[in-house]
Amino acid sequence: MQVRRRGRSILSAVFGFITVLTALPAGGAVSDFSNKVPRKIGSFMSEGEDRVYDRKTLYDYVDGGAEVYLAFDFREVWTRKYTAPGGRELALDIFDMGTPAEAFGIFSCDRQDPGAGIGQESEYGFGLLRFWQGRYFVTVTASAEDEETGKTVLDLGREVVKHLGPPGDLPGLVNLLPAPSLRAGRTSYFHESVNLNNRFFVSAENIFHLGRSTDCVFAEYETDAGGPAYLLLIRYPDAEKSAASRRSFVEAYMPEAGPEGLARTENHKWVGAFLEGPFLAIIFDAPEPDWARRLIARLQLPKK
Amino acid sequence: MSHPLTRRDFLKGTTALLFGASLASSQETAAPNKSRVVLIRSREVLDENSAVNPGVLQSMLDEAVARLLDESDGVKAFQKLVKPGETVGIKTNVWSYLPTPPELEAAIKTRLLDAGVSPDKIGLDDHTVRTNPLFVNATSLINVRPCRTHYLAGMSGCLKNYIMFAESQEAYHPDSCADLGALFKLPQVQGKTRLNILCVLTPQFHGRGPHHFSRRFVWNYKGLIVGQDPVAVDATGLRLIMAKRRQVLGPAQELPPVPKHIQLADTRHGIGRSDIGSIELVKLGWDEEILI
Repeated sequence: MQVRRRGRSILSAVFGFITVLTALPAGGAVSDFSNKVPRKIGSFMSEGEDRVYDRKTLYDYVDGGAEVYLAFDFREVWTRKYTAPGGRELALDIFDMGTPAEAFGIFSCDRQDPGAGIGQESEYGFGLLRFWQGRYFVTVTASAEDEETGKTVLDLGREVVKHLGPPGDLPGLVNLLPAPSLRAGRTSYFHESVNLNNRFFVSAENIFHLGRSTDCVFAEYETDAGGPAYLLLIRYPDAEKSAASRRSFVEAYMPEAGPEGLARTENHKWVGAFLEGPFLAIIFDAPEPDWARRLIARLQLPKK
Repeated sequence: MSHPLTRRDFLKGTTALLFGASLASSQETAAPNKSRVVLIRSREVLDENSAVNPGVLQSMLDEAVARLLDESDGVKAFQKLVKPGETVGIKTNVWSYLPTPPELEAAIKTRLLDAGVSPDKIGLDDHTVRTNPLFVNATSLINVRPCRTHYLAGMSGCLKNYIMFAESQEAYHPDSCADLGALFKLPQVQGKTRLNILCVLTPQFHGRGPHHFSRRFVWNYKGLIVGQDPVAVDATGLRLIMAKRRQVLGPAQELPPVPKHIQLADTRHGIGRSDIGSIELVKLGWDEEILI
């Protein structure tokens, strides 16, 4: 009996160890980057100690923007400062976002500059490099914008990406978007209303009932009517919640809408709210009702 | 549900809702006194490298505070704000990317000394105001910080500057920092703020990157916004930020994300006026590209 119990506890321990191992994201702890990322890059040298911040301590580092990351499945950020003669500084931040979908999400909510060809997607402008690779989101921020510093920012990004592991998949929700007329590089993925409102202000209140349990994509589509139309696709945990959110949106934003959920707005364009099981699709600035209906018909929503 | 501010309000052109109770209601209540806010600008306060000219800045502060309080000069105006023997805390802001300029802190300190406050009774602090004896014992506070956008609150101004007085900063983050106005009712703060100075020498109208800062979204406006009502000061700062965003980013991005705390500081917490109809905006100095 004792032997059996001991055997059972050994099995439990082994099982527990395997569980812990599989729960850990691939690639190790972010503190490992201290041994991997070069301390000298161009004329810049690392200065001070590398630091790691988690969900509890992120406010100590990101003063004024921690919520951006906490609205995603952010785990830890590893940071290092570099300095060069002339008082120039670089800040390297490697954010472990838990999954590739979350890394894409944080990258996708703030795109503005041309691509830099680093990682899975990237952009560089005015001394700021941003890219994502696998479950990591990376930024390199320069205090100066001279040519040499800019080159060093990009070189550092190319060094870092070597240590981030293989590419990861986009969020599944992104693949549901109709491809025709979709504006490249303008799709965002997120969960909470703070991200929506920074991307596209809809309401000062959380009328979509967004939170950590909701997944959202926001996309832009070309139209022939001058200016894009916008698609917000939200996946709720269940159909009851999506229906309640549609009611909330219609009441707050377009109380004049008919049963189909379409209304003409003050800019002479159309807004629509369409429900399909746990999915809620909102179209802003559609040129015509039929345009909105066609886009909704092309959504590749799962039937169950 | 009461009607929340939505994108459609912008399409309708009813953005005055942003600034608190509607214009109509302010006219109906006919507030006996408007909150006076002074916007002062000088072309010479910054040089071509954006370095501050301390003398010009001192003159700007003096002129603004004198006009605010209908006094003939800055010294007399500060004598109206604080008395000899008082302990005064200057609540500054040390955010590394855009701190309160030290020249502005020095200009305030100079006038507090001129007003008779003892040098050892003037505190200057940001992160440790809750425990700094000069702030614990302060009988008056001067609230000074730069004006910038904020990812969560929409705008960081004089209202948000007092978050360091809170036991838990996170407690003020929900719902886009909706209740920042409540900070002015904390025991360490209530009834002590004599002057609010929103520094718009180089305001920031948009943010990017991990720290929500990029030099491309900072411009040399060369101004100060000064008032005794922190809500009116911030409402004026928000108008400036929105005007600049409209000019550079376009009408679709005129509004920084949900700066509802300014309106709610008025309508929910009653610590000042956010309605543009109840703010007397006095403009002094350089008026080129003034925007508001």
